[in-house]
Amino acid sequence: MDEVVAEYIRRTVLKIPRDEIMAVLQEWGFLSEAQLQTVNFRQTKENVSHSVTQLCEENSADIKQAALLDITYNHMYPNKRVWSVYQMNKTGEEADFFDFRDFKKKFRRRIQSALINAYFNFTGLVNVCLKQSFSFSTQVTIHFRGYEDNAIWIRIAWGTPYTKPNQYKTTYAVYHSQTPYVFISTSALRSNLPLLCQAIVVASSYHDIREMELRSHCLNSLKDIVFKRYSQNFKTNYPQQERSVLMENEDLRIIDENKSEKERIHRLNRDCFGDGPQPRLDFAQYKLETMFKSDPNWDVLDKKEPFRCLVKFSSPHLLESLKSLAPA
Amino acid sequence: MEGERNSDEKESALRGRSPTTASQDGGERMSEVPFAQRKVEEGKVYSGDGVLGYLEMMEAQAHELGLKQEEKEQQEKKLNRLKARVQELRARRDELRAKVELQEKRLLDKEGTVTDPAQPSAQTVLEWKLKGVRATIQFFYLTGISGKLTTQGVCFCISTAYEGTYMDSYYVDILTKPEVKIQLHSVPVFIPLEQIAKKYLQTDIRHFLSVLSDHLNAYVGRRHQAEQLEEQFSDRIEGTLQRNSLCNLLVFNYNVSKNSKTFLFNVRLLYGDLCHSLPTEAIISCTSGTLPLLAEKAAAHSYAFRHMALHKAFDSLINAKEGQDQTP
Repeated sequence: MDEVVAEYIRRTVLKIPRDEIMAVLQEWGFLSEAQLQTVNFRQTKENVSHSVTQLCEENSADIKQAALLDITYNHMYPNKRVWSVYQMNKTGEEADFFDFRDFKKKFRRRIQSALINAYFNFTGLVNVCLKQSFSFSTQVTIHFRGYEDNAIWIRIAWGTPYTKPNQYKTTYAVYHSQTPYVFISTSALRSNLPLLCQAIVVASSYHDIREMELRSHCLNSLKDIVFKRYSQNFKTNYPQQERSVLMENEDLRIIDENKSEKERIHRLNRDCFGDGPQPRLDFAQYKLETMFKSDPNWDVLDKKEPFRCLVKFSSPHLLESLKSLAPA
Repeated sequence: MEGERNSDEKESALRGRSPTTASQDGGERMSEVPFAQRKVEEGKVYSGDGVLGYLEMMEAQAHELGLKQEEKEQQEKKLNRLKARVQELRARRDELRAKVELQEKRLLDKEGTVTDPAQPSAQTVLEWKLKGVRATIQFFYLTGISGKLTTQGVCFCISTAYEGTYMDSYYVDILTKPEVKIQLHSVPVFIPLEQIAKKYLQTDIRHFLSVLSDHLNAYVGRRHQAEQLEEQFSDRIEGTLQRNSLCNLLVFNYNVSKNSKTFLFNVRLLYGDLCHSLPTEAIISCTSGTLPLLAEKAAAHSYAFRHMALHKAFDSLINAKEGQDQTP
């Protein structure tokens, strides 16, 4: 087994909290149950990681397995990274038969052709021999994994014509098939971002892509927001369980003076936020740019410049905190 | 100038007083006559708090009294009118009550064939109406498309079903003014809602709902079939079932035995029509090359997949295969 791969696996295992290492390795699925039983998970993490690396050596793990371990880790702990949402557009109306195999092929091919061009522009040579010696896999590592919820996780490690891909500074892209949204998380190197976006657009049969102003550590909340998976309060005739509006006061002697007002506020709050848990937002920003409208005769302002207003909200859990303002 | 202002203040102060003080004014006026005499004696005739000012004040008071009197008269008139109306309504109520009692009595006595036997009391009528309305709402819910008027438009609920089982419900909240537009919805992002809305929403809401309902029902049907196949036949499928968000492309492998030899069939099911839950194409390929005997089998399998629900088709193929193998 490659030294680099061994070290990478060892360091990845070290990142996992000790009590959860077993779960992650099971999810990874590379080591058999029997092998996992031989590891003592009660020792220090250093020792556990060494044991695991030994087992991987026995199974001759390669870079692909190591990459899959990294994907498994990031899939289980997505909140360690910052995710940005990108939106794609397409003009065609045909039903899209999204094929995972096709997607992977087109994606790799797009990145490969871009890198070959870059390589030639860099070296300035058109020699056929050199073209053959260009090795795609030494400049970038790409791995995919599909999940039950139709999410495709793409892991990319970028390199340069002269250096091998940096496995520790990876870019992740999460794409749900047949949707116009991609969730991308980069670490440090953003120079290859346009290439990544292009590759996704081509592989998913869309036309263009743009970054949305939506960013968070919590990937599931981002998905909830763009896929509208949060609970919206829809008015329906079909009787749903009527939840009690206000908690009855323990002491019946206390009468709420503003009961109707409180009920109204509660109803508005419920209409706005719905009943379920809110997506987790850390930060929201409102920008207002407007012109002052007045009677032209008054001429109140000296300069005809628009008013600009910027309001920033930040909180550990913004929407829940706004929702809880109502009963207060 | 100062005097005028003072008297203005006094007038406005007077007018600001509520009508309840009208009765007090009479008393006050009596006490203020010697006040005026005093003022004249003191020589304060032309100043603001002198006789003229005082006279103005009295004039204002008289004017106000006049207004109040008018108001009183009007209110009395209104009261009388309402009293008369109440009498009228009471009379009518008594009339109707008598009528109802008479009918009930007749029913009880079971005499008089003239009366319509289906003349139940108001209470039963109401209950029957409520029951009817509830049944109608239930009926609409069961048909799959129900709606409720909201303050700004209509909120439709599309309930999906497949082969007798009710599945998810999706909501579409539509604004009707100023123009017909979708405000909120819970339709999954991979259903082409914008395209359908562009085509039909403005011209024919019913058609829009019907097309959307077809899409959603078909999607739910396809998803259900794929899930059932995975659940029931996970041991008969080699590898995993590959699908996408819309479930309009399914790929899987399974073993077929012929003449005590096993071959691996690869099936690609394409659902070209998003409003249908059966595939438009079922491409079967054999990894070890197609043999003439297998070609016949493949055609039969393809036919089954295209005409029956996936899990049922697969079930029949498995059982049929076993049957065939048993025959020498």
